[in-house]
Amino acid sequence: MDSRLITTYEPDNSLKKGYRSIFPEIYNELKANRWLIFQLFKKDFLALYKQSFIGLMWAVIIPLVTVGTFVVLNGAGVFNTGAIAVPYALYAVLGVAIWQLFSAGIIASSNSLVLAGPMITKINFSLKSLVVASMGQSILSFLVGFCVVVVLLFYYRFVPSAGILLLPLLIIPIILLTLGLGFVSSLLNGILRDIGNVLSICMTFLLFLTPILYAKPTTGILAVVSTYNPLYYLVSVPRDLALTGVSPEWKGFALSSAFAATVFLVCLVFFHLTETRVTERV
Amino acid sequence: MNDDAVIRVEHVSKKFCKDLKTSMRYGIEDIGRNAVGMPSRCGQLRKQEFWAVDDVSFEVERGQTLGLIGPNGAGKTTLFKMLNGIFWPDKGKITVKGRMGVLIDVGAGFHPMLTGRENIYVNAAILGMSKQETEEKFDSIVEFADIGNFIDTAVKHYSSGMFVRLGFAVAVHCEPDILLVDEVLAVGDEGFQKKCFNKIGQLRDAGTTTILVSHNMHVISTFADKVILLDKGNAHHFENVADGVKAYNKLFWKLEDSGLEKVISGNEHISFFNESINRRVLHPRDTFCISLDYDSQIGYDNLDIDLAIVSSNELGHYFQATNRAYGKQINLPKGRNRLIIRIEDIPINQATARIIISMWTNNRTEKLFWWMIPVEFEGVNYSTGKNFLKARYEIESALRN
Repeated sequence: MDSRLITTYEPDNSLKKGYRSIFPEIYNELKANRWLIFQLFKKDFLALYKQSFIGLMWAVIIPLVTVGTFVVLNGAGVFNTGAIAVPYALYAVLGVAIWQLFSAGIIASSNSLVLAGPMITKINFSLKSLVVASMGQSILSFLVGFCVVVVLLFYYRFVPSAGILLLPLLIIPIILLTLGLGFVSSLLNGILRDIGNVLSICMTFLLFLTPILYAKPTTGILAVVSTYNPLYYLVSVPRDLALTGVSPEWKGFALSSAFAATVFLVCLVFFHLTETRVTERV
Repeated sequence: MNDDAVIRVEHVSKKFCKDLKTSMRYGIEDIGRNAVGMPSRCGQLRKQEFWAVDDVSFEVERGQTLGLIGPNGAGKTTLFKMLNGIFWPDKGKITVKGRMGVLIDVGAGFHPMLTGRENIYVNAAILGMSKQETEEKFDSIVEFADIGNFIDTAVKHYSSGMFVRLGFAVAVHCEPDILLVDEVLAVGDEGFQKKCFNKIGQLRDAGTTTILVSHNMHVISTFADKVILLDKGNAHHFENVADGVKAYNKLFWKLEDSGLEKVISGNEHISFFNESINRRVLHPRDTFCISLDYDSQIGYDNLDIDLAIVSSNELGHYFQATNRAYGKQINLPKGRNRLIIRIEDIPINQATARIIISMWTNNRTEKLFWWMIPVEFEGVNYSTGKNFLKARYEIESALRN
């Protein structure tokens, strides 16, 4: 028997051990559970697509329909997408691909604990892995969306900037923000099921509030809101850099990234401290 | 602390809230306090809260099997979940050495759409097995589960037996230092149950510490080295398993309403009095004796006397017979006499029961007498069945010259 493996459970565990031990604890937990995270992701993936005829194609169809709606609205003059330098479809599909990292990620992670409810009240395993694994699906959808972008690049004979190679790095901030908020929303949803519904409404609302499918307006209330909306920077700057190589919003992106990293850390610690309280109530 | 102790539970308590909405409010409050670095007020009871487990302490050594018994709602599952780290105690401390495995609702992590093979990988990962470990043990798991070529079929098409077998197979293959077993062995057919018990026995011999929760006293007597009886959140320790099992059965005796004796005693011609019995507490093979005085103005011929022994916590009769079963005709002569009935050599082991006697006139036209007597049958140590029978052990030489 490995006698080094000693676990103690007592009230206010972290308080007694000191808060400095939290970060190594979290790091070790995630590192030790890489295989579990992959398996949980695989489970979600297989479960989602096994009973579906076209499977992964849904990841293509859903964003295309969203973009198509805007193209029609724009063509009919109902909705003005504003002045955009690149082909609109390209602009919108890439935007939606990055956006859904956030929207689909939040929805999936907020449901992750609730859906695993019967399991987490019976088996003691890493709940963080469950939340992290739930992000996998939206990252996969992003990759599929990106493939559509590549097809569109060829179709429009559009030469992107070299910044497109940096895209994997540029989307890290939005993933951190999503994970952070996902950790907290999964807990809150565990206690209070209302949170799940509130979040789905919020996502639809935020999609319209954030200049993703239209250019950032220069005047009016939306212009002001966008200036203070970190999601705007986290979506549009990676997109601008990938397609044109320049972005006027560098500073906003840097600030938003710092914000995202802070949210991630605070939420992760919050999750670590409170996860057992929540399993009692899921 | 005893160095051999693999599990040490020190003054552990856990409280729950009766009301869901209040529970959510307290939950948010506790989380808030923890998040800002304040201790949660978990040591005290707030409104609507109660102790589900109250000040429980024990130690289990390496290789030992602890039986955890108690009526429903005694706190067994809560204690179990605290040992597993799913709930954290509100007071006290639990120290666990080594890897923890659980046999509780096996197959809980299975996804119905996934095949057996896919589910093995996922479930093994959830139970803490690495990729390499899973691959090494894969064949052994499939063999133990005995699901043959269904391994690539979605588990929703499995029979419930196959489902449980697969879940059990994965769970026992994670080679835990400590195994928590919660009543899962009640499932599966007899062959599989035997296999499960053998596997648990093997693990125990290999040094695995086991905690066994069961309502089946036979299982507890067979496997446990010592017993903790939980009752209303409090723990009672028994180093001797037989004592623990007896105390468990006694819990249900206490619930017994002993005032249930009811007497119909005669009519205008006959009256019964001085009803008496030799004992209320019996041991297996005792004789129960009922004696009854009567005073009758007329003679009653060819009476029917029914005797029954009915269990007080489950359905069914231990015994039921009328005098006809013994080929005995009963006539009560006129005058003042005493009727004595003996039920001899009763083999009932460890039960609470009621002995019922009813007396009818010929052809059952009128019930003359009815009496229900609550009794207790004490148990014999190291015996758990409903009956305690005579057994003989002899060794004869099988060699003839």
